[in-house]
Amino acid sequence: MKNLNTLLAGIFLAVALPFGALVISSQVQLGSLGRAPAEEGGPLFPSREPGLAIQGRAVYVSLGCVSCHTQQVRPAGQGSDIARGYGVRPSVARDYAQQGQVLLGDRRIGPDLANFGARAKTLDAVHAAIPHNGQFAFLYVGAKNEVASERAVALAAYLQSLRQDYSSPEAKLKQ
Amino acid sequence: MTQENRSGRPQGRPPEGDSRLTRTEVQLRGPFLLFFVSAVIWLLAASVLGVIAALQQGSLAGGLFRGCEILTYGHVAAAQRNLFVYGWGFNAFFALNLWLLSQLGRFELRNGWLATLGGAAWNLALTYGVIQIFAGNQTGFGLLEFPREVGPVLAVAFLLAGFWPIVAFARRPTGHTFASQWFVVGASFAFPLTYLLAQLLVLWQPASGVVQAIAHSWFVSNLLLLWFGASALAAVYYFLPKVLGRTISAYYLAPVGFWTFFLFASWTGPSALIGAPVPLWLQSVGVVAGAMLMVPVIITAINFHGTLSSEGGWSRAWNDTTLRFVSFGAIAFTLFGVLNAIFGFRGNNAVVRFTSFAAGQEQLLTYAFATMVLFGSAYFVLPRLTGSLWPSAKLVHVHFWATALGAVASVVALLVGGYESGKQLADASVSFQQVAKAGSSWNVALSVSAVLLLVGHLAFALNAFGMILKSSAPASAGRHD
Repeated sequence: MKNLNTLLAGIFLAVALPFGALVISSQVQLGSLGRAPAEEGGPLFPSREPGLAIQGRAVYVSLGCVSCHTQQVRPAGQGSDIARGYGVRPSVARDYAQQGQVLLGDRRIGPDLANFGARAKTLDAVHAAIPHNGQFAFLYVGAKNEVASERAVALAAYLQSLRQDYSSPEAKLKQ
Repeated sequence: MTQENRSGRPQGRPPEGDSRLTRTEVQLRGPFLLFFVSAVIWLLAASVLGVIAALQQGSLAGGLFRGCEILTYGHVAAAQRNLFVYGWGFNAFFALNLWLLSQLGRFELRNGWLATLGGAAWNLALTYGVIQIFAGNQTGFGLLEFPREVGPVLAVAFLLAGFWPIVAFARRPTGHTFASQWFVVGASFAFPLTYLLAQLLVLWQPASGVVQAIAHSWFVSNLLLLWFGASALAAVYYFLPKVLGRTISAYYLAPVGFWTFFLFASWTGPSALIGAPVPLWLQSVGVVAGAMLMVPVIITAINFHGTLSSEGGWSRAWNDTTLRFVSFGAIAFTLFGVLNAIFGFRGNNAVVRFTSFAAGQEQLLTYAFATMVLFGSAYFVLPRLTGSLWPSAKLVHVHFWATALGAVASVVALLVGGYESGKQLADASVSFQQVAKAGSSWNVALSVSAVLLLVGHLAFALNAFGMILKSSAPASAGRHD
């Protein structure tokens, strides 16, 4: 304790070891996840993100949507996410492999959005949900705020792209 | 303040200083006041935003600021949290850590302008970052919300402003060290390391997929525990024995407490990801580390509460402004550790996950513990540095009662409100809207507590700024009492 070098070395290890064990090792374990078929010859999932959806995520991030919405469905034993209809299966790491920025979130002031694209059947339903009773009316123009601005169009495309309703090798849908 | 001069210095007790302004204090007066004044200004800004955010949380449509893009909840909440953490928490601990280690190491800060430069850079970068958040330019990762160009500036500013405690430790004349010194050195070294690695893997070279979230959770737990937690623990270790004029009970346990705290704290990150799409082993490591963190929590509890429990320590603490705040914080830390372990476990965590519970735990650590300790320290340090007395005793009372009640009310509202809504959410037949409606009374409590905190901070700021402005004594004149 009297020797600064010993103290600093100890603290360095106390910070660097967890970093290596938690972060680097999970990069090794998960870093190479990509698109994969649930069974041989099947379609590849998750789908690639459309360009408009990537722009939409920037809108999502800039408005701070992540402070009220999560994007993760917990397995059946933990919480009521699946029973609530947030998803049809638990989220797995592969679902996020294509996303440039992962917005899992940690607070649900609003509902979970991991599978929102599958829940909201039509584009109109998405646009109906975005304004939140007027708080986000500024995303729409026109006399009655009926015309979606560029940002709203992109945001809607992003929200529609959020789907976890396919079978993946780690989480198969029940037939 | 009681400052008996006693000869002989047993272990477990910081060295007695002269009650006059020491040479070390003359040197650090300038940077200290810069950090302190900017900290209090940020605290006021954060508490105004806290009131707005609390009002918004109650209403889906944004309530008062309906349709206002700048003041959407996502902006206000992010700006509030960042201002509180980086504006108040960092500036205030820059000041306090510097003062503590200068005192303990008899260190004379010769290059004070470097610290001042660092403080200026820190606050400018912070201002820019917050403006960017309101302008809609944020990253989406909690406590790393500032656009990524702010990161390197903050890191360099930290090295200029926050690294002096380590220099002070290295230059101390005696071989003897005290618990406060280890904790401050640990905090000052662990934070920049954590911040750089997190910036790199979350913002500059984003890791792939959910590894971003893992790196982020590691960063947040390190920031909260190793900066706020360790710095505030250092202050409690200093002020309890200093003001009571006795040794820390069972001080021989303190080194164990220090090392176990630093050993386990950094592993607790993934406990914020229970149920998330990350490997199960990772979540379990977080849970186990949270439980192991009970070791330093119990040791600090023995140290702090043991010291306070002997020879009427509690009543003396209650009658001393500094100790009243500091012992409030010490109790809050013990409570935080216990809750952290209990609600880390998978079953309990599943109930409170995604509710306000985690915010309540953070409030318990960063406000009820760290901020109250900082307030207590200010009541000790500022009169020494400015050479004048607190202008108004009434404002001191307003400050204590408003912040103490506000802290208790906000923590209870977030924790109990979060637990209740978690219980309801577990039943899928209760709709999300019903849960939100049932929790509305807790939102009212939260708004009231936010107003209380604002009132308390205003009282503190008035008193502190009044004192700083009033202090006409030249820095070298010292304090005569």
